[in-house]
Amino acid sequence: MHTTQLAILGGGPGGYAAAFMAADLGLSVTLIDEEANPGGVCLHRGCIPSKALLHAARLINETKQAAEWGMTFGPPAIDLDRLRGWKQGIVDRLTGGLGQLSRQRKITYLRGRGEILDPRTLVVRAAGGEQRVQFGHAILATGSSPTRVPGVSIDSPRVLDSTSALELASVPKRLLVVGGGYIGLELGTVFAALGSAVTVVEMTDGLLPGADRDLVAILARRVGAMCEAVLLNTKVSGVTEERDGLRVTFEGASIARREDVFDQVLVSVGRRPNSKIPGLERTRVKVNARGFLEVDGQRRTAEPTIFAIGDVAGEPMLAHKASAEGRLAVEVIAGRKAAFEPAAIPAVVFTDPELAWCGPTEAQARAEGRDIEVTRFPWAASGRAITLDRTDGVTKLIFDRPTGRLLGMGIVGPGAGELIAEGVLAVEMAATAEDLGLTIHPHPTLSETVMEAADAFHGTATHIFRPRKK
Amino acid sequence: MSTAFTLPELGENVTAADVLRVMVAPGDDVQLEQAVLELETDKATVEVPSSIAGRVTEVKVKPGDKVKPGQVVFLVEAAATAPPAGGPPTVGAGEGDAPDVVPAAAGPATASPGDAARNEPVEAASAAPRVVEFVLPELGENVEGGDVTSVLVKAGSRIERDQPVIELETDKATVEVPSSVSGVIREVRVTTGRRVTVGDVVLVVETTETAPGVAPVKVQQVHAVPPPGGSDEPVAAAVEAAADGGLQQAVYGRRAPAGPDLPGMHETALEEAEGDAPRVAGGGVAGSDRAAHPPAPAAPSVRRVARELGVDIHEVKGTGAGGRISAEDVKAHVKRLMLAGGPKATATAGPAPVVLPDFSKWGAIERTPMRAVRRTTAERLSTAWTHIPHVTQFDLADITVIEGLRQQFGRRAEAAGGKLTVTAIALKVLGAALKAFPQFNASVDMSTGEIVLKQYVHVGIAVDTDRGLLVPVIRDVDRKNILQLAAELAAVSEKARAGKTTIEEMQGGCFTITNLGGIGGTHFTPIVNHPEVAILGLSRARTEPVWKDGAFVPRLMLPLSLSYDHRAIDGADGIRFLRWVAEALEQPFLLSLQG
Repeated sequence: MHTTQLAILGGGPGGYAAAFMAADLGLSVTLIDEEANPGGVCLHRGCIPSKALLHAARLINETKQAAEWGMTFGPPAIDLDRLRGWKQGIVDRLTGGLGQLSRQRKITYLRGRGEILDPRTLVVRAAGGEQRVQFGHAILATGSSPTRVPGVSIDSPRVLDSTSALELASVPKRLLVVGGGYIGLELGTVFAALGSAVTVVEMTDGLLPGADRDLVAILARRVGAMCEAVLLNTKVSGVTEERDGLRVTFEGASIARREDVFDQVLVSVGRRPNSKIPGLERTRVKVNARGFLEVDGQRRTAEPTIFAIGDVAGEPMLAHKASAEGRLAVEVIAGRKAAFEPAAIPAVVFTDPELAWCGPTEAQARAEGRDIEVTRFPWAASGRAITLDRTDGVTKLIFDRPTGRLLGMGIVGPGAGELIAEGVLAVEMAATAEDLGLTIHPHPTLSETVMEAADAFHGTATHIFRPRKK
Repeated sequence: MSTAFTLPELGENVTAADVLRVMVAPGDDVQLEQAVLELETDKATVEVPSSIAGRVTEVKVKPGDKVKPGQVVFLVEAAATAPPAGGPPTVGAGEGDAPDVVPAAAGPATASPGDAARNEPVEAASAAPRVVEFVLPELGENVEGGDVTSVLVKAGSRIERDQPVIELETDKATVEVPSSVSGVIREVRVTTGRRVTVGDVVLVVETTETAPGVAPVKVQQVHAVPPPGGSDEPVAAAVEAAADGGLQQAVYGRRAPAGPDLPGMHETALEEAEGDAPRVAGGGVAGSDRAAHPPAPAAPSVRRVARELGVDIHEVKGTGAGGRISAEDVKAHVKRLMLAGGPKATATAGPAPVVLPDFSKWGAIERTPMRAVRRTTAERLSTAWTHIPHVTQFDLADITVIEGLRQQFGRRAEAAGGKLTVTAIALKVLGAALKAFPQFNASVDMSTGEIVLKQYVHVGIAVDTDRGLLVPVIRDVDRKNILQLAAELAAVSEKARAGKTTIEEMQGGCFTITNLGGIGGTHFTPIVNHPEVAILGLSRARTEPVWKDGAFVPRLMLPLSLSYDHRAIDGADGIRFLRWVAEALEQPFLLSLQG
């Protein structure tokens, strides 16, 4: 029997951040995961490999755009094996690094599948045998998996999910992406850049449900140009495998063709929490109707010894939320009076252009009836954006009108994922329009658009003329 | 007729107990007053007698369970009750004269011995009417119960599943509680105005449903009760030492469940600072479920300070731009609250939990949970140690003479049912000493700045038992003679070791004696049994050479260790008291002379 103060089930960005924090606070920690190294979906088959491929995609797109600047490149010769090898190298380097950091912190890393025996004991099973772990506390950080759609996610090598798509076995001639959310758009644009004719099908009336429409419209224009077709208000009703591809039938009010044949279909309709943890029924942990483990503001489950964090503990299913929760849960376990109460959690779609927001969206703030003032700074007025030949971006700030306090921010444009961090900090610090405007931003950068959008609150943005309404 | 035996009140301030032993099983015949349960409460082990008689059909608790007064312990079928007017029960008879409960043939005891079928007494009689209890279901997170504002059904009437049964006012809202069973109501167990808690029996219903009413119950909110206090008025914060020893902190509203007290891994139950929906879980995109409260205009570090001080950040008025709250604003808020005599926010901090090292690094370890007695002892001694400035003084009493008397009159004490021990004699001495030194028979009330002087003399005796330290109290020590005290001392010690001391028998002490002489040692520093102000420790007497009248003579010397609360007692009085006790032991005649 192995005894540990803290056992963590799942080595993703929530689990390993919690493990490292706990070790730094002096607790004995056991981290359990099926992979050889920590990293979870994010590093092994999610955020990191997809960003590598998106970087490659952006380069291809820029070489095409460069013709307008007087530089014509030939069509790229893509060595898929080397591209895949480069991506895999990044994954191996990062996960290997985490393994090393874990060893340096004297964390016991058990490779295998965990099963809960009682609220104080786990058993970890691997091919080599099993190990019992007695713990003071446990954190469940088992993450999420791609949602499968009955009738669509059929058993065929031509049907991909995000995991198999990132393996990059081949570049299909015609690819259908089912689901217009961030995963579908990110992977869809990668394959489009690599040469696939991509069709995106989305059940609702717009891409990226949840984000503000004015920002999505800018993204949709570029995605539309890259894709063969974007079908909104359309549902895939069936997929059958044929000798030369997959026959897909659609349902929807305004679609031209009810059937089409694709080489491959990527199903990216969402993710579901991995809450079917073996032995969970031996604890008091509750699972809610949507399959998430129920937790309180300190990420405690109903079982006093067990906490849950990350995708399995609720939305948004984002790596950075999981890490913050993991560290918080460890603080609570270590006896600190901590609670998970962020003022804003940023969301980023790493397409080209990127789309990012934090705090309430404009639509949400209006729906809640808040007294807000929204300012926009179009990138056409940004010197830096013009030099990048990307003037379609927008920086948008949502202020509390009476106090001028920043509540939220939305950005669409290259680098939006980096720029949003300033917005998150400003929201967390309760900064006002004046604070942002009086903070000197470097010139010429895209970050100036944040400063100018803040100045627009007082009608005094330098590079746009829009006097404040009296 | 099936009746339920619910756990009666166990005594003042006893809200829960651990089940040690269940003395009945399905199929048993239980008599009135028959002991049915053995429970361990904070300090005492008690046997619970039955208040009903009949054949047990179902037992609802098992050893190790935590039970609360009002909880159903077991059900009986009252054999003695006359059958209904319509003659012997007939399965499938008309609704009006349907038989009571399950026919005996379906009883589980005969079909399957043991407890395998404990919870399913019905299989053979699925179509037959059964009597079931409808208990108050879970009403929502942290809602333990409420006051019955109206009862919507009557005994004898028919009730359908989901039909509202009672209207209940909880801390949060008034709710209608719907039934989870349908059938004919045999009995309504609640009345308007009564407080009911989750698990209490509301109705006894005769049903023909095959499955017991386990359907999830939807509680319909009728109207929200506004939170107490205005928006600017802080709701009282209170520190509660939870029964299980976990430090539980109630700040601004709901109470969080207290965690178990795992040594070294203390958990601090913390409130949500945001009253309504602070969870991001399940709320879609970040920040979408904060409609009720926009985030407080304070930096994360400032919010943390507030949390640590037990302050709801939303209550704090910010002085910065846009109402931004600084750490200074939070501290000023706390100061104002304290000056206003409001919630003592800082007092909620309690002792900082200590993170223990990982002992398993150095060898095998085992963790065992603290038992109730151990937890209570730990809590009470911590309180005493932190609140009482202790002084301990030592002395020796020459008990050579008294030892002779002890030998001489030992028989007489035995005849009276006791043993003439040094402790029994010390009890007599203390009875007199506490009258001579009233400041030792006192308690300190810092909240009013008063000393409470007691007009009675009850002395506690520390008894070492296999459950831990227990302190039964002997009453009116000053009015009893040594033989009576010796007999009573023997009785209470025996009772304590048998685990039968009741809580009442351990309350009301003015002073405590702890005698370790039976084991050994010279002197020690006992901890005052708060809220008393002094404790006397006795160690092993030994024969020592004592210089007397120009020569060393062998005398039997008893080491005395007196600890006292320096707030109430000065050092000079301490030693005067101790000398008085020593002299009274040396010269028993003084007792009659002065005492």
